[in-house]
Amino acid sequence: MQRDHGCHRIDHALTRRGFMATGAAAGVAGLTTPAVSEQLEKKQKRVLQVYLQGGVSQLESWDPKPGTLYGGPFRAIPTSVPGMHICELLPHTAQRMHLLSIVRGINLKTNSHHDGRLFMEMGRRSGRFPYVGSVAAKYLMPDNAPLPGYLHVTTRGLTDYTNAFLDARYGQLKLAGPKVPANLVRPKTVTADAAVRSRNLLKRLNQRFSGRGGQKTFTDSYNASFDMAEKLMARRDLFEGEPSGKDLDRYGRHPFGRNCLLARTLLENGGTVVKVTHHGYDTHAENFNFHLEQLGEFDKTFCMLLDDLHTSGMLESTLVMIYSEFGRTPKINVRYGRDHWGTAWSIALGGQGIVPGAIVGATNKQGTAVSEREVDGGHLFHTYFRALGIDSTAYHTLDGRTVPIGDPAKQPIQELLA
Amino acid sequence: MGVSFRSLIVAVAFAQVAAALPAAEKAKSLAPEIDRLIEAALPEFATHASSTCSDAEFLRRVTLDLTATIPSGEATRRFLADKRPSAEKRDEAIKQLLGSPAHARRMQYLLDWMLMERRTSENVASAGWQAYLRKAATENRSWDQLSREILVDGGADAKTRPRARFYLDREFDLTVVTRDVGRIFLGKDLECAQCHNHPVVEAYLQRHFHGLKAFLDRSYLFTDPKSKKKSLGEKAEGDVTFTSAFDDTKGKTDPRVLDLPEIPDPKGTSKQYVTKPGKTAVGVPKYSRRQQLGQAVTAKENRAFRLNIANRLWAAMMGRGLVEPLDLAHVANPPSHPKLLDLLGDRLHARGYDMRWLLGELARTRAYQRSSRPREESVDTARRHFAVGLLKPLSPEQYAWATMEATGFLEAVQNSTLAKLKSEADKKAKDKKANDKKKAAKDAGKAKKDAAGKKPEKSNTESSPSPAAVEAALSKAVDGHIKTFVTQFAADGGQSTSFSATAPQALFLVNGQLLREWLKPTKTNLTGRLAKLDDSAAIAEELYIVVLNRLPTASERSEVSEYLKKVTKRTDAVTELTWALLLSAEFRFNH
Repeated sequence: MQRDHGCHRIDHALTRRGFMATGAAAGVAGLTTPAVSEQLEKKQKRVLQVYLQGGVSQLESWDPKPGTLYGGPFRAIPTSVPGMHICELLPHTAQRMHLLSIVRGINLKTNSHHDGRLFMEMGRRSGRFPYVGSVAAKYLMPDNAPLPGYLHVTTRGLTDYTNAFLDARYGQLKLAGPKVPANLVRPKTVTADAAVRSRNLLKRLNQRFSGRGGQKTFTDSYNASFDMAEKLMARRDLFEGEPSGKDLDRYGRHPFGRNCLLARTLLENGGTVVKVTHHGYDTHAENFNFHLEQLGEFDKTFCMLLDDLHTSGMLESTLVMIYSEFGRTPKINVRYGRDHWGTAWSIALGGQGIVPGAIVGATNKQGTAVSEREVDGGHLFHTYFRALGIDSTAYHTLDGRTVPIGDPAKQPIQELLA
Repeated sequence: MGVSFRSLIVAVAFAQVAAALPAAEKAKSLAPEIDRLIEAALPEFATHASSTCSDAEFLRRVTLDLTATIPSGEATRRFLADKRPSAEKRDEAIKQLLGSPAHARRMQYLLDWMLMERRTSENVASAGWQAYLRKAATENRSWDQLSREILVDGGADAKTRPRARFYLDREFDLTVVTRDVGRIFLGKDLECAQCHNHPVVEAYLQRHFHGLKAFLDRSYLFTDPKSKKKSLGEKAEGDVTFTSAFDDTKGKTDPRVLDLPEIPDPKGTSKQYVTKPGKTAVGVPKYSRRQQLGQAVTAKENRAFRLNIANRLWAAMMGRGLVEPLDLAHVANPPSHPKLLDLLGDRLHARGYDMRWLLGELARTRAYQRSSRPREESVDTARRHFAVGLLKPLSPEQYAWATMEATGFLEAVQNSTLAKLKSEADKKAKDKKANDKKKAAKDAGKAKKDAAGKKPEKSNTESSPSPAAVEAALSKAVDGHIKTFVTQFAADGGQSTSFSATAPQALFLVNGQLLREWLKPTKTNLTGRLAKLDDSAAIAEELYIVVLNRLPTASERSEVSEYLKKVTKRTDAVTELTWALLLSAEFRFNH
């Protein structure tokens, strides 16, 4: 476990200045003519998901309750949005809250990692539905996309069926950090010519087999896996080479820093949905020490990524989600830990289609229950897609049946939609 | 009234006859009854139904389903050349495959996947578990016995420890093991969150969940302080209480399976121990609730047990469960063919849970032997009604074996394994002979009179290893490759029959070293043999027979011939052709 408080004075100053400049740019963008904004409309929309795996504590992040029974040792600090306070463990993020909004009234009614994750990803409490990333890839990925649509940078994790009934090309592709994925390079014994002609033969064989009918979803999925493999092989360069020293200084040399740098590269090079997982928030013991370390790493790194997206103008077409499978219990256990808590917790959103600087929902004084504007994974799911300009009340059309994109019993959080 | 009364008498009489004559019942083939129910479930079934699959398709399909690999080129040729009526030779193939040692291998994989769902080995060595399953499959141990072994054993006894893997490699997390007993042995996910939107169903589920939990909640994970080995201990007290989802009242339950009666503890057993739980002693109560779980789950009153296994075996053969997903049987998700599921479950129960028998009966049905080429544009109806054969993605194990078989890599391993077994057997025999001689000499010295007229026991030097021993040794020899395929192709499929292919899998197939290694021409492997053939027709035939287990069509023959003309270096050409056929969807699926 390494500590990285990463708050050297000079860095901080530079970041502040960078932020001031980009803030000004955003102001200008707000005054553009209709023609220009129409062009911006047509720009590809993207999603950046930062997943704080294990369940980040809402009390140590977006919904601090200092000085209350369960508040813990940390203070709340003011942010760039007047009147909005977040935990002092997020000083860099605090300065950028005018780009983000907080949802404070989430109640999933589950305390299970598995069920919480699926609810947050599928927008459904159960059943087999595609993840946010797969749905977004399906509706946002251009036909000629240079990369697979849904890329997940993570240091570990299980294989999920993220695309459910959607085509496998919208399924999540896992990347084990900034290294060349396994088997990406053609074997030396195979010449370029041989690779092309045998691949063409394979295509013919597979077309014939698909042509005889049968389960199209199976054969399509199989064929699409080779197309995705080819796209990745063509962009080997994205995984090679060391990031610049300057970038590493800003993002941090730890795995999360490098993973976020890869996420930026992927977004800049045509990635549609990029998810980065930051592991290790399941703090049943030593909640406060672990959050100090974990959020110390998250805070600055995430802000550098946010700044870069903002500076390049990509932020306004990129939906940014910072989320978990649940939060953590207000009650502090005997090991100074906080346990699983889906009952009253928060996430942060920003970018494409999201009103910035807002707080929606609230929890009671001690954070033991939602007191205002209760929402769950279903409402959030609709909100993401409405923010992306996708009608989440419409249906996926599959061969022979239709399935509603979002849970028909839930609605988007209108207050958050720009 | 009279009629119904008479039919009642007839029914009773019939039931008595059936009970009195289990042998007659046993001899009756199930396959025609299955087909009758399948075909009656859809009006104008024939207009939707695909024709019978070809002999070649059948042989590949049934070999994969019953022995986890594809037929050899030789077996394919022999089957296609067999001039007997198709039905006759198909029946014989089923019998022969079910009797082969490779069938135990298939069952081992199937049971492993079903029971452990690709969990990693934490507390129980995978090799011991696999050997346990293999032995059970070889003996065709009945599913109820196997279930009792797995549901009862706590792993304290080293001899039977592998049985406890179901519990121990779930770290005996009470919620997880309770849920998985429901899912895997009863086909019901009692934590099915979807149902929690429905208050009545939720109340049911809650009661069922806690009833099952009560069998297990006195058990606990015990870590031996010396060996650090984990096993299950059990206390002789403790009850399960829960808060009703209905009205917030507190409920208390004794162990019970679903809606069957609660099973109270016998009087005077509370706090009575064979071994009291302690820091160094694993608790053994006089009355074990976990022991009861094995009995109660497999009891004939518990219909869910028979329906679950019938559904799972059906899904393994047919590509889709009658209840799908396989672990979501409940009122809102009824079976597609309820009468059929009842029939399968009841007959399997009557046959003493003989899984091998049921697989054979399923393989004999028209439903199983239907072509996977759909008759109509929209295949949904046909698919739901098993009027068309379904594509089944090869399991990682089937995929590994089939690839090794097709490339000819397996034959090389087979030969070296056989040679090794033989030399080991020879060495053993030699040692034994030498020992016998020594012993005889010793004995002779000790008691010359006794030895007179007695010859030393003749050792059987000619004994060749049994087919089962060969099969076991072969499985062991290729185990590393099987694991590679499992790592690469196993997906968190849950208990469903779905398929999704990923880019890393495609990269493994396209660029991976392993496949390229197997494709490198040697003296005996497929590419080596193909490179030695001159005639393009012969190459096409051997290639298609060995990889896809069928003869090439005319256009496929000319495609091969064109390729051979275009790529003049023969070893390159045959390697590329084999590679393409191996990676084809036709190979990836059981069709």
